[in-house]
Amino acid sequence: MREHLPILLVVLPMLAAPICSMLPRGRQAWLLATAVSWAVLAIAASLLIRVHAEGTISYALGGWPAPIGIEYRLDGLNALVQVLVAAIAACVLPFSGRSVQDEIDADRQPGFFALLLLLITGLLGIVATGDVFNVFVFLEISSLATYGLIAFGRDRRALLAAYRYLVLGSIGATLYLIGIGLLYALTGTLNMQDLAARLPAVADTRTAQTAITLVMVGLGIKMALFPLHLWLPNAYRFAPSAISAFLPATATKVAIYLMLRFVFDIFGVGFAFGRLELNEVLLALAAAAMLSASLAAMQQRDVKGILAYSSVAQVGYIVLGAALATPIGLTASLLHLFNHALMKGALFMAMGCVMLRVGRTDLDAIRGLGRRMPWTAAAFVVAGLSLIGVPLTAGFISKWYLVLAALEAGWWPLVILILVASLMALIYVWRVVALAYFAPNESQRREEAPLSMLVPLWLLVLANIWFGIDTRLSVAMAESGMRVLMAGPP
Amino acid sequence: MKSHLILSIVAKFLIPLVLLFAFYVQFHGDFGPGGGFQAGVIFAAAVILHLLVFGHAATEHFIPTAVLKIGAALGVLIYAGVGVASLLAGGRYLDYDVLADNAVAGQHLGILLVEAGVGITVAAVMILLAYSFQQRGHDA
Amino acid sequence: MSPQLLMLSCLCLPLVGGGMLLLAHRRPRLRELILVLTAALSFTSALALLLQFREGNLLRLDLLTLLPGLDLMFEIEPLGALFAVLASGLWLPTSLYAIGYLRARKEEHQTRFHFWFCVAISATMGIAMAGNLLTLFVFYEVLTLSTYPLVTHIGNRGAVRGGRVYLGVLLATSIGLLLPAMLWTLHVAGTLQFTAGGILEGKLAPALAGLLLLMFVLGVGKAAVMPMHRWLPAAMVAPTPVSALLHAVAVVKAGVFTITKVVVYIFGTGFLGTVPAQRYLVYLAGFTVIAASVVALRQDNIKRLLAYSTISQLSYIVMATLALAPLALTGAGLHMVAHAFGKITLFFAAGAIYVAAHRTQVSELDGMGRRMPWTMAAFAIGALTMIGVPPSAGFVSKWFIIAGAYQADLYFVLAVIVLSTALNAFYMLPILHRAFFRAPEGRAHGEAPWPMRVALVSTAAASVLMFFFHAPILALTRSLTGAAP
Repeated sequence: MREHLPILLVVLPMLAAPICSMLPRGRQAWLLATAVSWAVLAIAASLLIRVHAEGTISYALGGWPAPIGIEYRLDGLNALVQVLVAAIAACVLPFSGRSVQDEIDADRQPGFFALLLLLITGLLGIVATGDVFNVFVFLEISSLATYGLIAFGRDRRALLAAYRYLVLGSIGATLYLIGIGLLYALTGTLNMQDLAARLPAVADTRTAQTAITLVMVGLGIKMALFPLHLWLPNAYRFAPSAISAFLPATATKVAIYLMLRFVFDIFGVGFAFGRLELNEVLLALAAAAMLSASLAAMQQRDVKGILAYSSVAQVGYIVLGAALATPIGLTASLLHLFNHALMKGALFMAMGCVMLRVGRTDLDAIRGLGRRMPWTAAAFVVAGLSLIGVPLTAGFISKWYLVLAALEAGWWPLVILILVASLMALIYVWRVVALAYFAPNESQRREEAPLSMLVPLWLLVLANIWFGIDTRLSVAMAESGMRVLMAGPP
Repeated sequence: MKSHLILSIVAKFLIPLVLLFAFYVQFHGDFGPGGGFQAGVIFAAAVILHLLVFGHAATEHFIPTAVLKIGAALGVLIYAGVGVASLLAGGRYLDYDVLADNAVAGQHLGILLVEAGVGITVAAVMILLAYSFQQRGHDA
Repeated sequence: MSPQLLMLSCLCLPLVGGGMLLLAHRRPRLRELILVLTAALSFTSALALLLQFREGNLLRLDLLTLLPGLDLMFEIEPLGALFAVLASGLWLPTSLYAIGYLRARKEEHQTRFHFWFCVAISATMGIAMAGNLLTLFVFYEVLTLSTYPLVTHIGNRGAVRGGRVYLGVLLATSIGLLLPAMLWTLHVAGTLQFTAGGILEGKLAPALAGLLLLMFVLGVGKAAVMPMHRWLPAAMVAPTPVSALLHAVAVVKAGVFTITKVVVYIFGTGFLGTVPAQRYLVYLAGFTVIAASVVALRQDNIKRLLAYSTISQLSYIVMATLALAPLALTGAGLHMVAHAFGKITLFFAAGAIYVAAHRTQVSELDGMGRRMPWTMAAFAIGALTMIGVPPSAGFVSKWFIIAGAYQADLYFVLAVIVLSTALNAFYMLPILHRAFFRAPEGRAHGEAPWPMRVALVSTAAASVLMFFFHAPILALTRSLTGAAP
């Protein structure tokens, strides 16, 4: 069975999803989904260990060898991203039990968990597969599940947010599909490795350049790269708490992974960055994302809105590191991809707790939180410090690497940009913290969230501290991912 | 709609034919053009025609929503289950060769089951969509 | 006890005490006993550390390695040992004073107040013992954040506004200037370790080194060199114990301490002598000394007056450090201590007047010397220290700074000191005149509660004693210049 783990990882949640939808009670569906998420995490972790011990794993579906059949190909990079997705899922699902009970009608709960499992399937599939069309299929699975999940939001604006994401997301997926269609027409293959080998021969054609542009724009929408991020803030804001905790930590990260894979492994740095000078475009967009989204975050009246815009800014950080295309830059990028998932997951989970007890997450709801929900508020503070990049938290480590990368490349303005954006993060996090602890409020009643939510929340918070102090594991993982990317196309 | 005599008679005549055609497309899928997707849509088209002509109550009487929901899930389960079955039989995921005594029979059986799964899910989801459009404004 | 354990206990004792305070939330007497015990124990361990250091033990503690070449580590050097003993030593009277003050004022959230005070002291210890710039920076920020709840303790609109300025200036300078300066240093020198003789020599062109120095001096907002001084008057919305220990001693001294460390151990006085821009920073500090004194002249609120006086006195230290003469550096170290004793006494007295008489303005102090003789006598000693008249500690330190100015032929520094001494006298002496030579007004009142009186008398006494017995402190600050030839 051991050799089939790569496919089981994807199939397990896919099998569980329909079963979930057939279960009569939300509670049972939740139990099943939680169990599956833990199993998935165990499988993903064992795969990561195996990749590190034995090197790249290739699994051919249906016994058709690559490049004809679909190939799942795990290396140091995507095995890591899989663990990230699985770990966040394993934290969010136990957490979601209470909040889903509270936010979603009883008869719709099984459907909710089924969609969530499908979303997990889709994300894991995108990461695992080595076939660009299979990527599209999983992209659609995850996107469709996401539209549905966002629409579950209690606020009526959730429907509009989901619809907006549906329109933009479909455009993104279509652009991607046209892009890979063109590539297929040019090279006659859909396998990533094969594509990378055949692409240089036709790279000078306008078709290839159009294809690359289309793929990049399509992925840009999926990862919410400025200025294609318009769908994101409201989608995160109005989605059910569990979904707003899950999406920012995983969905955009998977899209970013895909972009890294395309740029470094398929198109090749020499072509994408050297000839087409995509890195300059990416740098400019990343810088604009960091500044404009941080500015927008400072003006939000709703904490989930603040966090959503902050996510857009953080995508900028990650892309910035990648656009430098140096070993340190890529390490920084991957580290931040990982660390940001930890902090944003924790922050949105804290807001989930607030949602459960207070029923809303605007700034007024935060007033006096330090006294009413001390554990939740403390978790928010620690994760917020990590978001700012205070030493001894995970956020510091990735920003430190990012600054080092910018210095090494001789880009002084970028260092200033990173510091300015961090300062802005400080301001928008501080607004919340100051209200939670230092604002006078009438109600002094303690109404802490239940343990089933606090334990997963604090797991992520402690991970933020752990990876800020003991960086050996996270840096080693990021570096092994970096080596995969720097090795370039085969 | 009940007053439209011509419509209802033509529908009664057409629906069995459409259903038959759906099954033809379904089972002929492994030899010629066709397959689960198309068959599912054609099957659903027949039911939707019934829905349009005879109304929601009549259609729901013999295809209840609950059955459809189970069907939608069941199709996916069959599909993924075949994959897992081939794993259990010692092959790769979705490797049909190992499903029967010899590879050719295995391929036949595998594709038949997988297409059946696809067909069931597609038909169930299409009909569910039609139901929910029909129901809009009735139970809100 | 092993030195490493001692260092750890210096750092952690206040935190542990703070944690126990929280547990004793519902029992005020127990809580206050814990507070005083914690302060006493911290002082003892800092003192023990100082003794260990004087025996010549190598005191070094590697706490954590974040990334290769980026670690949190502590190492004791003369100035740090002095600073640690100073801060923890003054914490003991301050904790007594704070207990009296909060009780007399019937403040809310007293436990919270004491807790954050403990955290701030722990951060100060971290700064004092920091062995590299990163460690120093981390604790510097912890100190900023942990003092915010203290500044805004009262919780009204004015406190929140003051707190916003406080946090805004301190964080903006440290993240906007200090952090980039640190990154630049790391990039150029490859290390952030405090090393005798500096780490930048020969690695940076003098013109750029001048820019880096400017970033450091302005980036350390806590040193309140103009134009980064606005936070200090804003912080005066805090309860007086906070102003006394933190905004006269721990926080502001952490600022000048950081600058001194950077000058001595990052640039190295030898290298800095070749940097032309260093002169201009001396002028900037000199300007701050005079300008802040002039502003202080026009203040009527006692605490604001003292705040501007602090700004001026801090720049004395910065100026003396940047003069780069061995004697001036010794003077800088001495002045850190002398000003601490004097200014904390002044704040204690101001708080005592506020508690006993509800007066906050200079113009309301008529005849206070007869109503509150102990308090005003202490105030007078503090004022004399600020001016630098014998027999007060301020005289000793000014003496050394003047001697250092001669040594380095910096007549500008000399002129600044003479002028500012005159200005100090101009704003301090009228207060004493009012208090002792005018008739009292309004209803009669007595002294402040006894814990407050004990505190302010002891610090006033310390300030006089330092005039006579400054040899140990002198020896320590001398070895600072010995470490940096």
